[in-house]
Amino acid sequence: MKIVFKTVNSILYVGISGELDESMARQARESLDAMIDEADMKKVVFDMSELSFMDSTGIGVILGRFKKLKALGIPLLIANPTKAVDKILNLSGVYQHMPKVMF
Amino acid sequence: MQIDNHMSLKIAALSKNEAFARSVVAAFCASVNPTVDQLSDIKTAVSEAVTNAVVHAYEVDSGIIEINASLSGRTVHIEVLDEGVGIEDIVRAREPFFTTKPGDERSGMGFTVMESFMDTLEVKARDGGGLCVRMSKNFDMNGE
Repeated sequence: MKIVFKTVNSILYVGISGELDESMARQARESLDAMIDEADMKKVVFDMSELSFMDSTGIGVILGRFKKLKALGIPLLIANPTKAVDKILNLSGVYQHMPKVMF
Repeated sequence: MQIDNHMSLKIAALSKNEAFARSVVAAFCASVNPTVDQLSDIKTAVSEAVTNAVVHAYEVDSGIIEINASLSGRTVHIEVLDEGVGIEDIVRAREPFFTTKPGDERSGMGFTVMESFMDTLEVKARDGGGLCVRMSKNFDMNGE
């Protein structure tokens, strides 16, 4: 798993690629939290176009960041999920909390 | 039930073995030509069962996870076995969003994912301790 960050017009784009499971969860949490704590942004977008695998451990990681951002008043969006990742996001009801966008 | 092929795998209950376990089972299924989506479902379900053993069964002590898979026609039967602490209330554990570790950002969706991505799911305590997760998927159905 790899995470890259880019800020454009006060929007923090987070590209998550590879596979997100239990073995990568701690690294993902720490990396995402460090960036959220540092960056000055109005919105966060998780770009999942290169995330080939995620299980329910990843759902926990995403919902944890959603709660953290919500407390700061910052919306979180999920962008371009792959078909496999989209299926588990749908099942988990994640899109009820954060919208899916395709670009 | 006629078994056409079978595999067994024993791994240390470590999260770094999850990718290996799900890839092995998916590769085993490849001989009956499942779709990419079906293989993806298998990988996710196996990952959930193995994660459950790593995180819950062997939270305190290390241990071994045994994975058995067999093919009967175009149906795969998968067993994930551990010798860990077991689950006190299996019915409750299978409810969506139920978790004993809310502080650890656990989604509580593991069994729900297995149930949704596979055709059948059976979870039961093993004699002598530990958990047995059995699931199956027919590749002629839900091909998408």
